[in-house]
Amino acid sequence: METLETPTESLRIPVTGMSCAACAQSVETILTKQPGVENTTVNFADESARIVFNPQQTSLEKLQKAVQGIGYGLIIDAENAQEKQAEYKENRLKILQSNLIWSALLTIPVVGLGMVWMDWPPANYLMWGLSTPVLFWFGRKFFVNAVKQARFGQTSMDTLVAMSTGIAYAFSVFNTLYPEFWHQRGLHPHVYFEAAAVVVTFILLGKWLEERAKSNTSSAIKKLMGLQPQTVIRIENGEEVQVPLAEVGVGDRLLVRPGDKIPVDGQVKSGHSYVDESMISGEPIPVEKTKGTKVFAGTVNQQGSFHFIAQKVGSDTLLAQIIRQVQEAQGSKAPIQRLVDKIAGIFVPVVLGIAVLTFLVWWLIGGENALTYALLNAVTVLVIACPCALGLATPTAIMVGVGKGAENGILIKDAESLERAYRMDTLILDKTGTITEGKPSVTDSQWNDEAWKPVLLGLESQSTHPLAQAIVQALKAEKVKPAAVPALENVPGKGIRGQVEGVVFRAGSPRWMEEEGVVLDHWPVEQWQNQARTVIVLAREQEVLAVLAINDPIKAHSKEAITQLRKQGVQVLMLTGDNAQTAAQVASEVGVTEFRAEVLPGDKAEVVKAYQSQGKVVAMVGDGINDSQALAQADVSIAMGHGSDVAMDVAKMTLISGDLLQLPKALRISRLTVHAIRQNLFWAFIYNIIGIPIAAGVLYPLNGFLLNPMIAGAAMALSSVSVVMNSLRLKYRRV
Amino acid sequence: METIQFKTNINCSNCVAKVSPFLNQEDSIDNWKVDTNNPDKILTVEGEELDAEAVIQTVEKAGFKAELQ
Repeated sequence: METLETPTESLRIPVTGMSCAACAQSVETILTKQPGVENTTVNFADESARIVFNPQQTSLEKLQKAVQGIGYGLIIDAENAQEKQAEYKENRLKILQSNLIWSALLTIPVVGLGMVWMDWPPANYLMWGLSTPVLFWFGRKFFVNAVKQARFGQTSMDTLVAMSTGIAYAFSVFNTLYPEFWHQRGLHPHVYFEAAAVVVTFILLGKWLEERAKSNTSSAIKKLMGLQPQTVIRIENGEEVQVPLAEVGVGDRLLVRPGDKIPVDGQVKSGHSYVDESMISGEPIPVEKTKGTKVFAGTVNQQGSFHFIAQKVGSDTLLAQIIRQVQEAQGSKAPIQRLVDKIAGIFVPVVLGIAVLTFLVWWLIGGENALTYALLNAVTVLVIACPCALGLATPTAIMVGVGKGAENGILIKDAESLERAYRMDTLILDKTGTITEGKPSVTDSQWNDEAWKPVLLGLESQSTHPLAQAIVQALKAEKVKPAAVPALENVPGKGIRGQVEGVVFRAGSPRWMEEEGVVLDHWPVEQWQNQARTVIVLAREQEVLAVLAINDPIKAHSKEAITQLRKQGVQVLMLTGDNAQTAAQVASEVGVTEFRAEVLPGDKAEVVKAYQSQGKVVAMVGDGINDSQALAQADVSIAMGHGSDVAMDVAKMTLISGDLLQLPKALRISRLTVHAIRQNLFWAFIYNIIGIPIAAGVLYPLNGFLLNPMIAGAAMALSSVSVVMNSLRLKYRRV
Repeated sequence: METIQFKTNINCSNCVAKVSPFLNQEDSIDNWKVDTNNPDKILTVEGEELDAEAVIQTVEKAGFKAELQ
């Protein structure tokens, strides 16, 4: 069956000009409405949009126009998007800073006049003159955006700011020009220029602090991007030539001197050194590099120097992949964020409604100064209800959390798994390559007659099983030449069988041998198995020719990691295709009480399912292709960095160094992030929940208290700042 | 360390650039250099367990010719 598929493109495009979560919501809405766009998520915290669209139906230029129509921008120049966005941000911070300084300088005399010299006859006109540029020049963005969005029937926090300060300003202008209107009614014509100016200044202050803090949350990425050197020494026809990084191609031979950063991924050709890989793996101990070992872009060479052959350059390097994945993860939305987005979307209209209601109630029952109170309280409601903090709560915490992970060598692919890992209560570990090194080697052997070595090599070299590979390597190292073993048969899970001139040779597990009637007395089979080694037997018919012990050493930190995880309240289970004795031995050595041995690859996913059906939130850790099914089934999937690419593709988290100690760290990061999100939401809501009713004047009948719009402006700025600060606090937490 | 020399048709720096990735990636070769000034375009190869036939094949893979000197 053939289906016609229209090719879609998925791009991450920087968005400019967003000032709050409601803006992100607006951009998302307008993009989603465009023909040819299938899906859009806009992230306010890192100011980007992930757009899935059909290039045959729309173009980036069209999308850019649509976004510009409501007052924002898209940076569609793919080549320099990063730099352009950085430049744009830097510029904006500068403009914001100068706007803030100027509006503060103008606002201070307005406050002085309004508070102390308000009865001085020209005071009103002076305040009018001073506050006008504050509102309509330094704060013009609020008005411009509010108008642009209003044309599309959309609202954002700019709407709230523009309406509140605009109303206060208009009311004050009226009172300045026509004081008789109030005098005739026996009232004093108050002006609120200072309130309007202070609100704008405070909001600018809040924005400025927020902007600075936001650039801080993504510093993990900046740190990573700065890791590649700009020039490289290439060996061209035996000579050292300095070339720019961009010119390096696959297959180039490059020189790395002591202290140099490694420019691209590759394999060491000659020389010897130690390389600090902590920036991508989180592993603090330098790793030894000799001929044949891999090196990674962005890591730092220590004392020695070496030549290596470039294998992956540009966007293919592990570092580039990490940067991309971290960016994507930082931009992805945690499930909780969708709820917050919904709230932000209806928030502004609801607040406008409350403001109108406040106005009406005060106007009708406000007594003497009804209209003044009505206006002021409506204005205060609008000022205090900004949903900024709400919009920042989740994304800032996620950005810091994902960045924190990256710094510790934990690559988190999406916000969802970061949020889910928090609830994980069951952890399934694959044995080989996860708990153990995954590099089996022959440690002991006993031969009836060493003349059988070529036969064993002949058998094993036709199998791809990792244990067979260990034997092949050991025999090849002894320069054994393989014998031809025809009529070969692989017996899955048991071993391999071949026939030479009608005589049957077998190489495989002791259990299989016993099934076939081979007697293993006098051979050290059990003794080796009790040492957690896997035993392979070579037999001719029923006669044992040799036994070999293969050991896959347990990783240095496996035990400590498992102990920590159990302390964190996680149930740990080990799965392996290996035999029960070896499994039991390994399990007891690392402190795992539950394990399943002789599990076939397909059954691993079944085990995950079984636990899920008990209502457990299951995390699966694995490194191989045979784990990918189980990884896909698990709630939280974690791959080991040195494992297969398939496992890393499927898994939502990768422990780059393959050190299990990263696992409890990942769990702690997840917990800290989720806590930070909750605290943030608390801070965001508490200001509004307490602030809006007070602003509306509910306390007035009780004790005559009315919230000053200036205080409301300060409180609002503080709520955004406290949320961002709380997220940043996460950055300095030890994990 | 042994050294083997080959006559080749690796003429210029461009050709050297073309053949570089192939020779670089050949495991047995530790070091190599083409003397493009020499009329015979001598390729000198150093390594531990050099296999002349493998080197010739590698050069041919890159689209050039080589023969033992």
